[in-house]
Parts: sequence; structure tokens; C-alpha cells
Amino acid sequence: MDREKKTFRAAGAILKPIFEGHMPPMGLIPDSLLDGFARFSSFRGHLLRLTNIERLVTTLRHREPDHVPCCPMLYGASRRLAGVSYPDFALKPEATAESLLAAFEMIGGEAFAPAIDLSIEAADFGQQMVYPDNSTPHPDYAHPLIEDVSDYRRLERIELKEAHRMQAMLETCRILVRRIGFKGAVSGFAFSPLGVLSMMRGAEHLFRDCVNYPSEVMAALQTITDVLIPYVEAQCDIGVLGVTLDTLFASWSGLSRELWEKIEGPFVKEIAGAIRRKGYIVVVHNCGDAPYFDSQIRFMEPTVITFARLPDDCSSPKELKKRYGDQVVLMGYIDTALLSYGTPYDVMEACRKQIEDLADGGGFILAPGCEFPPNAPLENAMAIVKAAQLYG
Amino acid sequence: MREKGVLLNNLEEVVWKHNDKITGETLDEALNAGIAPDDIRHALLQGFEHVRRRLMSNEVSIVDMLLCIDRVTEGLNSISGGKATEEGIPLVIGVVEGDPHDLGKNIIARIYKTYGYRVFDLGRDVPGKLFVKGVQENKANVLALSAMMSTTMVEMRSIIQEVKVKSPDTAVIVGGAPVDETLAKSWGADGYAETAVTVLEETQAAIERVREGIPW
Repeated sequence: MDREKKTFRAAGAILKPIFEGHMPPMGLIPDSLLDGFARFSSFRGHLLRLTNIERLVTTLRHREPDHVPCCPMLYGASRRLAGVSYPDFALKPEATAESLLAAFEMIGGEAFAPAIDLSIEAADFGQQMVYPDNSTPHPDYAHPLIEDVSDYRRLERIELKEAHRMQAMLETCRILVRRIGFKGAVSGFAFSPLGVLSMMRGAEHLFRDCVNYPSEVMAALQTITDVLIPYVEAQCDIGVLGVTLDTLFASWSGLSRELWEKIEGPFVKEIAGAIRRKGYIVVVHNCGDAPYFDSQIRFMEPTVITFARLPDDCSSPKELKKRYGDQVVLMGYIDTALLSYGTPYDVMEACRKQIEDLADGGGFILAPGCEFPPNAPLENAMAIVKAAQLYG
Repeated sequence: MREKGVLLNNLEEVVWKHNDKITGETLDEALNAGIAPDDIRHALLQGFEHVRRRLMSNEVSIVDMLLCIDRVTEGLNSISGGKATEEGIPLVIGVVEGDPHDLGKNIIARIYKTYGYRVFDLGRDVPGKLFVKGVQENKANVLALSAMMSTTMVEMRSIIQEVKVKSPDTAVIVGGAPVDETLAKSWGADGYAETAVTVLEETQAAIERVREGIPW
């Protein structure tokens, strides 16, 4: 009887979003059904053009679609298409959604995440912010919320319903999911607990504290995690395809592998587990140098990893594909400097090489290594989409 | 009292293990044993070199380097009595205007100090004209520019061009996540350091290029 109830509940959770006009939680759909769908789409892709969703699902199940999907990661840059100022893009959900929709419709791609900036969660905890007219919002580093080690334990849990920037992000997701429907995939987004803490303490102090005062740091990480879990769950409830967790410090640019596993590993494990329990996929974004793929896979079991640099245990893209291509969908990793100053043809050439190295057998999404530079030429974003269609 | 060689090896080891509890003790022991400050300095730098080599092969992270520099700085301050050096190559460093990220710049500035450069750190979010002024006032042989945001890195180009007109003998070296060697060359810089691991060699090469008049 319990089993029947569970089956009915899962069927309801899958059918309800479909009737509402957007993607159901993929984690609740039986693997055999998804694999059958992917096999059929892969075959169909040899003959006909697939829809964005077919192409994505086929890729996520490690099958080759008609061409590789792409995600140009136009976030701050998208506001230029809609004539929105940076502060409005960051603070007004209607303006954010309008900008991202303009990018989706004018530039293209199959998937995107409203990754507005990395200070959303920290701002809601009370960190003072700077909202420049032509650049990404950031904390006022002259006035960190965590001024000394004793402040870690003073960090107070906040209620999601009173968190203005997180609520704005949720509203943006709501608008996007409603307007995009089955035309593409919207991913949620959250900075990892250590990332949020770095916005309130400053990376240099935080790094030292992780070594010298790990239990103080971990007390604050628990407080942040207790807020992030309902936040990512709320994103799932809106009907995003999955949630992206930005785990920058699980890389050579952050903590050593052992230290990251001790300090942040347990917390991101909790958050990723909450996303999966809702039936949604976990996407890990790490644009640091030499990211620790194996540790992140172990702690978060992501479906996709988006990256800017090769992981610490791979010396070439081919080795990356061989070592991790069966475990996760690889998403990346066009150089953002090239996007700022290269010609569209340079960008297409770089994309072609990456497709050659990583797309074989499916499981690859073409994307920049990090956010498309907010002031870079938009032709270069179009070049990514064109390259995916032409060479993928 | 332990032998000189053992004491210096210990000092080298506490630096690369960045153990703050025993650096002071080991240093005191070395000084009390009458070991010359130059030998102590050499041992501290050997410890730092060890971390730099391990960083090159991704065996340690940037945090290890940061803590290791803390230990070296403490050690060097102890043997110099905290006095700033008046010698060394004058170098101006800073993060360009609009950019509040200074972790990378701080690490690089401290590496330069550790290796004897006379560092004038202008901080973060520095307007272009202050870099030009800083180079002229301090007769800097080197200008090190950092940017971590693609929105602000464009400022680097105009700073480089102005410095090259007003102080042509100053070597300009750039770094930061959104920058690469191709960009650095196209902007007229004399060098590019991808990471803290290579910054010393790249800076030396940039100085020599400018001195010899060899285009990069």
C-alpha cells in the first residue's frame, strides 16, 4: 500500500509540472524511461532537428543528440540587450527576467541560470553592498560583516521569507520558468556556504581562519547551510531543471583538497542532498584553477560539472573526458579572456576544438568557463551558439 | 644546542609546514646559536621555494602559500627588527579601479617583498592616474597591475599606455583571472604572470626585456 502511495505521489509530482507547462523533476522519472527517451532522441537526432529539451535530456543521459547543447552564460551581459541598468538587473526581478529572456530569445542556447551575482545570500545576512552602474555588485570589503573570529558564532540565521535578495532571485526563477516553459531549461543557483562566508569576511582572512580556527568557521557554515537548504528547496519547488552550486573554493584557487573536504564538504553534501531529495539535479560550477572533481563528485554527486580549468588530476581535455566523462556531464570551458577580446571566428575555433575533445558519446554542454564577461562583444556569445550548431 | 645545519633545516621545514607555533621558537634558537641573519634568510626562502615548487605541481593550494608567506614574513621581520628595506628594486603594485578583489595582489606583493623588492602597494580600486603618479614618484622599475573582473580589466590597457609614454624604462607586468598572455602583449605590457608561482621569473624577464630593449 505504501509502495502504491509512493508511486502515485511520484506520478503526481511528474505530471503536475507537465500540466503547468514546464519541466518535471528528472530525478523522479525512472532511469529506464529517461534512457529510452534519450536513445530514441539520439536516433531521431540523426534525421531531424531536436527540441532544446530533447537535446538537453539526451545529453544529460550521456547520449549524442543532433548537436551539442550550449549555455552561453549571459547574465550581466544580458541586461545590455534589454536596456537595463546593472543595479536594476541585480535588484528587480522583472528587469532580471526580462534581460535573461532577451538573451535566451536573441542569442539562443538550451539552458541558463539566473546567476545574478555572488553576493545575494551575503547581502541578506546583512553584508553591506556596492551596486556599481556598469559592473557586478559586490560586498563593501571595507566593512565586512565578519570582522573578527568571534563574529563567526554571532552570525544569525535568517528567515527565507524576509531575505529580500533571495526572494528576488526566487521571483526571477518563477518568471523564467513560466515564460520559458518547455522551450529551454532554467537552473537555480546558489553560492556555496564557504563562498557566502567569503563575501562577509574577505577571502584572505577566511583562508587563514579555515586553518587556524576551523570550528569557528564551521559554526558559521552551519548557520549559512541552514538558510541555503530552504533556499534551494524553494528554487526546486518553482520547477527549475536543477540547482547550480558554485563551489569555487574546492580548487587550487581556494583550499587544499583535504581542508576543503573537512571544512566545506559536509555542508555542500547536505545542500546537494536536499536538492536531490526533491527530485532535481545538482549542477556544480567551479571556475577555480585545478578544481577537485573527484572530491566534489564524492560529496555532491552532481549530474553536471561546469568548469573553467582542467581538474587537478587531468593534464588534457581528452584525459578529462576519459576519467570523468562517464560520471558527470561536462560543461565548459571557453576562455573568458577570449570572449572579451577574441574575434567571433577565434571563439568558434576554440569551441570547435573543445567539441572535438569532449563531445564524443554525449555528456557535453558547450559553455564559457564562467559567466560571459558582462561587457564583452555579444557577437562572441552568438559565436558559441553557432559553433554548437555547426560543429556539435 | 642543536647543530647549525639541523637548526636551518628545521627553520626551512616550519616555513613550508607553515606551523606558526614553532616558527618563533625555532627562529629564536637559530639566533641564539649565533647563526648569521643571511643564513636564516636563506633557510626561510628555501622553505618558501619548497611550497612554490609544490604549488607548481598542484600538490598544495593557494592557502598553503598564503600561510607560508606569513611565516616567512614573520621570520624576515624578526631578523631585520621590523625595519623596511631601503634597498631592492622599487616596484609599484595595485588593483585597477572598480575592482575590490585584492587577495591575489596581496599575495604577490608579499612575494615581491620576501624576495627583496621595495614594494609600494597602492591597494585596490586604484584610479589609473595614481598608478602613473606612483611610478614616477617612486622611480619604480616595475609596475605590477592586477584585475580580477572582466568589467574592469580594460582599464589596464590605458594605464600601460600612459606609463609607457611617461616612464618608458618601467617594466609593466600584469596578472589576474580574466587576463592572459595574448591580451597582456596586445596592451603593450612587458610581462604576464599567470599565477603566484611564476611571478618572480616573469618579472625578472620583463625587467630584462625593458633594460635590453627587446620586444616581448
